[in-house]
Amino acid sequence: MWLKSLIGLLFVLSLLGAFIVKPAREREMTDSSGAEESRDSKHLRILTWNIGNGNLESETRAHAEDLPAVAVVILENEPDAVALQELTGESQLKLLLTHLENRYRGYVTSKGNSDRFDAVLVTTRSEGNAIFEDVPAGDHFAAAATFRLQKDSLEIYLVSAHADAFSASRRRGFSEDVTDFVRNRGKSGLTFITGDFNFDVSTRNKNNLFTDDAKQDSESYAYLLKYFRDLGRSAGETAINNRRIDYVFGPTKTVSVRRAEVLRDAAVGAMDHWPLLVEVGF
Amino acid sequence: MITQIRLEFLKLVRSKGFYLSFAALSVFVLLMLWGFYTYAEKKTSGLATEQFKYTYESRSYFNGLTFTLYSLLFAFSLVIPIFVAMTAGGQIAGERSTGTLRMMCVRPVSRASIVMAKFLVVAIHTYLLLAFFITLNLLVGLLFVGWGNLELYPGPLNLVDAPGQILRDDALWRFAYASFSGTWALLVVAAIATLFSVIFRNPVTAVAATIAIYLMLYIVGRIEFFVDLRPLFFTTDMDFWRDVLKPEIPWHELYHYAATCGAYIFGLLLTSIIIFEHKDITT
Repeated sequence: MWLKSLIGLLFVLSLLGAFIVKPAREREMTDSSGAEESRDSKHLRILTWNIGNGNLESETRAHAEDLPAVAVVILENEPDAVALQELTGESQLKLLLTHLENRYRGYVTSKGNSDRFDAVLVTTRSEGNAIFEDVPAGDHFAAAATFRLQKDSLEIYLVSAHADAFSASRRRGFSEDVTDFVRNRGKSGLTFITGDFNFDVSTRNKNNLFTDDAKQDSESYAYLLKYFRDLGRSAGETAINNRRIDYVFGPTKTVSVRRAEVLRDAAVGAMDHWPLLVEVGF
Repeated sequence: MITQIRLEFLKLVRSKGFYLSFAALSVFVLLMLWGFYTYAEKKTSGLATEQFKYTYESRSYFNGLTFTLYSLLFAFSLVIPIFVAMTAGGQIAGERSTGTLRMMCVRPVSRASIVMAKFLVVAIHTYLLLAFFITLNLLVGLLFVGWGNLELYPGPLNLVDAPGQILRDDALWRFAYASFSGTWALLVVAAIATLFSVIFRNPVTAVAATIAIYLMLYIVGRIEFFVDLRPLFFTTDMDFWRDVLKPEIPWHELYHYAATCGAYIFGLLLTSIIIFEHKDITT
C-alpha cells in the first residue's frame, strides 16, 4: 500500500511541478518583447513586412485592395523606415504612398529575374532627401535607402530583401550577395538588412535532423550573424505555420533593441506574413 | 524489495536481449563513424569547402564532441527507445508467456513491489545503455575524429537559436548530465511499455504497441499539419533532455518538461500497478 501511496504522491508532485514551473517559451510570450536597457537619445523604428499572399491564392503577390490596410498599419505604428516585399511593381508603391498621405517617400526595385518587387519607404520627417538604390543579389534586386533622421545623426542604410522561398542554396547565394554588397560599401553609419529571408533556423522548427537544406540555411544565417545582429529574435514567429522567416539584422554593438514585436493582428486578406517592428536606440 | 530488484537484475543480465542492446548500439556507433567521417571528408575538402564557409568550414568543427552530439541525438530519437521498449515490454508479459508469473505472484510479496522492482531494473538498464552509448561515442570520437570544443549552430539538430559554443571540459559534463536527463525522458517510454506489458499477454504485442505509439507521435509531431497537437504529445515533452546540451541551459523549461515526464511516468506506473493488482493470472 505504501508503495502505491508513494507513487501516487510522486505523480501529484510531478503534476504540481509541471504547472508551477512555467516553460520559458510561454513566459517569453507574456513578457515585454525583448527590450534592452538603453540610455540612447536617438531612436529608429523599422518595420518589415512581406505583404504577399499565401500559396493557395491565384495571385500570391500583394493585392491592391490590401494596400489601404497596409497603410493604416504603417501610419498607426509610425516607423521611420519600412521594408516591403512581394509588390507587383511601381504602380502598387505609388498607390500605397497615396494611402500613406505622402508621409513617406519610397522606392521599388528594378525588374530582375523575378515577378515580384521589394520596396523601401522612408518617412518624410527624415532629414533631407533619402537616396534609393538597387542592391544586386542573385538574379534579382533588393531595395536600399540611405537617409538621416536628423541633421546631426548618423547615416542610416536600410535594405529590403526577399530571398527565394523554394531553394535553400539560392537563399544562401542571395544572403551572401546582399551581405557582401552592404559590407563593400565601406561607409560609416548604421546598416540594417531587413526582409523575408525564408529560412527558419529557430528551434521551433522540429522537422529536420540534419539535411543539406537545413545546413544551407544555417550557413546563410551564420554569415549574416558574422557581421550583423538579429534584432527581432525575441519577437517570435512572423509567418503562418509558426515560422520565423522575416528578420531585421542590424549593427552588432552600436544599437540597443528598445522594442521587437510581431504585429499579429495586422495581416489582412490571405497574407501569410505579419509585420515585424523593431525599434532601436543609438 | 532490494532482493526483488537484485533478482530481477540477475534475470536481466542473463538474458540475451540485454547484450543485444549494447551490441546493436555499438554497431550504430560504427555506422555513425562511417557516415560522419565520409561526410566530413567530403564537405571539408576540395570544392565542398565552399559549402561550409561560415560555420562548419574548419576540420575542427567535426571533432569527437560533435560526433558524440550527432550520434546521441540521432540514436536517442530512433534507436534507444526501441531497446527500452523491448526490455520494459517483456517484463510482466514475458513472465506470463513463460508461465512464471503465477509462481511469482504466490510468493509473499505485493504485486505493486513486483511491478516496481521490474520497472527499477528497466530504469537501471536504460541508464546503463545511455551511459555506455555516450562513453563509447566519446572514446571513438576522441580516437578517430579528434578533440575540440562543441560548436553549435542554428538549423540542423534544432538545438540552438543562435550560434554558440561549449568548451571541451564543460561539454563533457553536459554529456554526463544528458545521461541522466535522457534516462528520465526514456522512462516515459518504459512506463508505457510496462503498462502494455501488464495489459497484454504477449510481450511482442506489448513491445510493438509501445514502439508504434512512440514512432507515430514522434513522426506526427514533426508534420506541420499537427502543429497544434504537438504540445499534447509525450514525445514533445521528452525532448527536454537535449536542453542540457545548449550553451545556456534553460532551467525553467527543463524543470517544467522533466516534471511533465514525471507525471507521465508515475501516472502510468500507478495505472499499471492498479491493473496488475486486479488481474486474474491464469497462466
